[in-house]
Amino acid sequence: MEVTTRTVGDVTIVAIHGSLDSNTAPEAKPSLDAVGTSPARKVAVDFSGLDYVSSAGLRILLGLAKQLSAKGGALRTFGLNQSVREVFEISGFATILKAFPTEADALNGF
Amino acid sequence: MSAAFQMMIGSAPGEVAAVLDAFACFATPNRMPDAMRRDLLVVLDELLANVVMHGVGTQPNGQASVTVQLLPDAVTVAVADNGPPFDPLARAQPDTTLSVDERPIGGLGIYLVQRLVDDVQYARDAHHNVLTLTKRLPDGWSPDSEGAS
Repeated sequence: MEVTTRTVGDVTIVAIHGSLDSNTAPEAKPSLDAVGTSPARKVAVDFSGLDYVSSAGLRILLGLAKQLSAKGGALRTFGLNQSVREVFEISGFATILKAFPTEADALNGF
Repeated sequence: MSAAFQMMIGSAPGEVAAVLDAFACFATPNRMPDAMRRDLLVVLDELLANVVMHGVGTQPNGQASVTVQLLPDAVTVAVADNGPPFDPLARAQPDTTLSVDERPIGGLGIYLVQRLVDDVQYARDAHHNVLTLTKRLPDGWSPDSEGAS
C-alpha cells in the first residue's frame, strides 16, 4: 500500500495504491490525516491503483470526509474498480464519497 | 477439481495480512475471477479482524483456523476460533442511508460480509465459534475457461 499526494489547481489528489484493509489502513491514516488537517478543502481520491477496500479502509475515508466537511470542503473519488464500487454501494458510501469515472470527471466543476 | 488451503492465526500483528497474502497466492494459479478474489479478500479481512478483536485477541491462547475450499461451483470459507461465544450475525444492521456528518465510524464489516457472499452461517461448536460462508462462482466458470482471470 502506498499513498501519494499531488495538486492540480486548487484540488489535492490523493492516490492510494495496493489495498486498504485492516493491515494497511493504519499505515494510510497519517497521510489522510495530514490532508484532512491541511488547508486543502477540495480533495479527490484516486483509486485507479486500488485493488480492494474493506471497512477498515472505509473508516479512514469517512474520517477524511468528516474533516473536510467540518471546514466546508468536499471529497470526491475516481477510478474505482468494480469490487471497490460494489463495497461503496453496499455500505452507502457511494452517496457520501461522490465517485467519478476519471480524474477529469472528478475535477470538472469541483 | 477442488483445491484448498488452511492456516492458523493468533493475535500477533500481521497474521491477518499473512492469510490475505496466502489467499491471493491461492486464488491466482486456481484462475479465480478477479471480482471473486477481491470480494473474498474483503470478506477475509472483515472476518479475521473481527475474530482477532472479539475472540483470539481476548485470551492468552487464542487462535483461529481459516479454511478456504475451491469447489467446482463455489468457494467456501470456514473460520473457527476458540474465543468466547460471539455471533457476529446477531448485530444490528448499520444505517447506510445517513449523511457524512451522521455516519458513525465502524459497524460495517459484518454487513459487508453478508452482502458479498451467498450464504453465511454461525454455529457455536465445542468451545469454538464457527462461521461458514459460501460464494458461488459465476455460471460456466472453470479453471480452464477463457476469461477465468
